[in-house]
Amino acid sequence: MRIGFPHAGNVYIPIRTALQELGVDFVVPPPTSKRTLDLATKYSPEGVCLPFKLTLGNLIESCELGADTLLQAQGFGVCRLGYYARGQEGILHDMGYNIEMVKFSVSEGNKLLGFMRVFKRISGNASWPKIIMILRFGLSKLNAVDELESLTHKIRPREEKRGETNQVFKEATLAIENAASHSEVIRLRREYTKRLQSIPQRKDADPLKVGIVGEIFVVLEPFSNLDVERELGKLGVEVVRTLSYSRWVKYSLFLNPLGVDEWREVHKKAWPYLKRDIGGDGWESVGEKVLHSRDWDGMVHLAPFTCLPEIVAQNIMSHTREDLPVLTILCDEQMGRAGMITRLEAFADLLKRRRTKLRSEGLLRN
Amino acid sequence: MVKVGIPRALLYYEYYPMWRAFFDALGAELVVSESTTKDVAASGVARVTAETCFPVKIFMGHVISLIGKCDFIFVPAVRSMEEKVHNCSKFLGLPDMTRAVIPECPPLLEVDIDMEKKRELYSSVYALGRHFTWNPLKVRRAAKLALQSHGEYKARMVREGKTPSEVLEGKSEQRDGSSSVALVGHPYLLYDDYVNHRLISRLEGQGVIVLTPEMVSQADMKQTTHELAGGSYWTYEDEVIGAGGYYIKKGVVDGVISVMAFGCGPDSVMMHILDRYARRERRPYTCLTLDEHTAEAGLATRVEAFIDMVRKRR
Repeated sequence: MRIGFPHAGNVYIPIRTALQELGVDFVVPPPTSKRTLDLATKYSPEGVCLPFKLTLGNLIESCELGADTLLQAQGFGVCRLGYYARGQEGILHDMGYNIEMVKFSVSEGNKLLGFMRVFKRISGNASWPKIIMILRFGLSKLNAVDELESLTHKIRPREEKRGETNQVFKEATLAIENAASHSEVIRLRREYTKRLQSIPQRKDADPLKVGIVGEIFVVLEPFSNLDVERELGKLGVEVVRTLSYSRWVKYSLFLNPLGVDEWREVHKKAWPYLKRDIGGDGWESVGEKVLHSRDWDGMVHLAPFTCLPEIVAQNIMSHTREDLPVLTILCDEQMGRAGMITRLEAFADLLKRRRTKLRSEGLLRN
Repeated sequence: MVKVGIPRALLYYEYYPMWRAFFDALGAELVVSESTTKDVAASGVARVTAETCFPVKIFMGHVISLIGKCDFIFVPAVRSMEEKVHNCSKFLGLPDMTRAVIPECPPLLEVDIDMEKKRELYSSVYALGRHFTWNPLKVRRAAKLALQSHGEYKARMVREGKTPSEVLEGKSEQRDGSSSVALVGHPYLLYDDYVNHRLISRLEGQGVIVLTPEMVSQADMKQTTHELAGGSYWTYEDEVIGAGGYYIKKGVVDGVISVMAFGCGPDSVMMHILDRYARRERRPYTCLTLDEHTAEAGLATRVEAFIDMVRKRR
C-alpha cells in the first residue's frame, strides 16, 4: 500500500509529516505545475471547476509514482466538492489505475474523529495516543507556516529590496517542513518571525490594504490564482486574508463542535443582502465585503470559473450599500499571467486614486 | 384580491400546479409572466454578471416583466427536495439575488424549502401563508391541496406520457415518427422554446418521437441513478442521469440528447456520467450546451446531423 494525496496550498506539510511519523509508505505528488494542469484537463469533464481538475492532476501524478491508496476530501456541501472523490475515482479507474480512494468528510459529522479514523486505517491500527500526538505535530507545522505567511503579507509591500521576503519565507517553509520535533517547530517559528521582521523596510511606505476573499481552494493554492498575493505585494499592496487552512482546522475540527462560530460577525453583516447559506464560501465573501468596507481599500474576490456559490455572491456583492471596490478574478485553465497582472495594476491605480480622494474628504479610517 | 406574480422560468415547469393550488386555496390571484422573448432575455442578461447561467438570466428577465403587474412576486429558495440531495446554490440564493439585482421589484414572497429541516419547513410555509390569512388551518389545508395537485400532475405526465408544456400550456405534440430520441435535462431548458430554439418541435418536424424525463416513473429514475452514480447528489440528478440512463438501459430509444446550460455546475458532472454510460452501452449520445449566444442555425445543424447519424445506424 502506497499513499498519495492531492495538493491544496500548504496542506501537504501536515499530511506529509503525519504519514512520515506513522511510518507508512507514501508519495508526495510533485508541486502542481503546467503538466498537472494539462493532464487534468485532458481527463476531466470539460465544464468542471478548477479545483477538481488540479486535484485530479495531483492524483494522476501520485499514481504515476506508484500510489494505490489515495486520500481525498468529500462532503455534502452544496457545491461540487461532494462529487470530487467519487468522480475522480471513476476517472482514475477508467484510466486503468487500480486504486482505492480513502474519503474523509470536510463538511459534516465529527470531522476530527473522521480524520483520526482515516489515519488509524491507513497506518494499520496505530494507537490513539500516537495518532493524537502526530496530529498535533503536523498541525503545529501548518500553524507556524500560516502565521509566517500572514506576516509576509505585511512585510512584502514595505521591503526595500524586492524579493527578500519571498526568499526568507521559502527558507522558513522548507525548514519547518523538515523539522523533527514539536519544540523545533516552535523554535523555528520564533526565529523566522524575527528574521522576517528584521528585513529592511521603507520608512515612507504607505501600502494599500486589499482583502482577499473567495473560494477557499483557489484563494489558498498559489498555482491556481497565479500567485495573486505576491503579485499584489510586488505592486506595493498589503494583503489581508481571513481564510487559511490553519484557521479552518482550528474552528472546523476543534471549536465548531463546541459551539463557537467564527463567522458569526461576518454572517450578521451579510444578512441584509444574503439571508441563507448558499454553500461553499459564498456567504462569507459577501459578509467580508460589508464588514471591511471602511478599513480595506479594496477587495480581490477569487473563484473558480463556474463556481456555484461564488457566482451568486458576486451578483449580490456588487449591489451592497457599503462601497468597496471589488475585483473578481475567475480562475480556470485559460488564465494568463500577463492579463492578470494588467488587471491588478489597473485595480491598484484605481484604489490609489480613490484613497487620495477619500482622504481629502476625511472619509477614511486608515 | 392580492395578485402574486409567478415568473415563467426555472421551477415553474415542475411546480406550477402545486403553487396554483396553494395560492388559489388562500384566495390569491396568480399572474404568470408571458413566454420568454428576446426582450425578456435581454433585460435579464443586462442585470446579472456574465458568468451567471442563462436560465437565471431568463428568470431575472421574467421578474422584470412582472413589475407593475402584481403586488408580490413568488421566489422560493429551494435547498433540498429530499434528504442529502441538494439543489444548486443559484436556487438557494435566488430570492437574495433577485432582490440585489432588481432593487425596484415588488416585495418577494420567499419560502425556504429544506427537507432536511422538516420542522423549519412548517414554520416557513406558514410564514408564507401569513401574507394572506391568519388562520393556520387554512394554510395547512392549502399546503395539503398543493401537495396533492403536485402528485397528480407528476402522475399524469408519467401515465399519459405528456410533457409539462402539454399539460400546462395545452400544446399538443405528435406521437408518431420513424425514430425516437430521449431528451433529458432540466425542465426549464427543455420546455422553454426561446432558450432551446424550439428543440422539441424541431425534432418532431423531422419525424422523431421525443421522450422526456417526465414520462419515466420516479422509482425507475431513482434506481437508475443509484446504479450509475451511487445515488443522487443533486436535485436534478434523477431527471438527467436517472431518465437518460433508464432510456439507454431499456433500449427503447434510438439516441439520447441531453441539454445543459453553459457553465452549469451540477450538469458539468452529471452529463459526464451519462456520456460515459452511453459510450459503454454504445448508444448515440450528444450534449447540447445552450446560452444567450447559441445560434439557431448551429443548433439545427447539430440536431439534424445527430438524427441522420441515428437513422443511418439503424
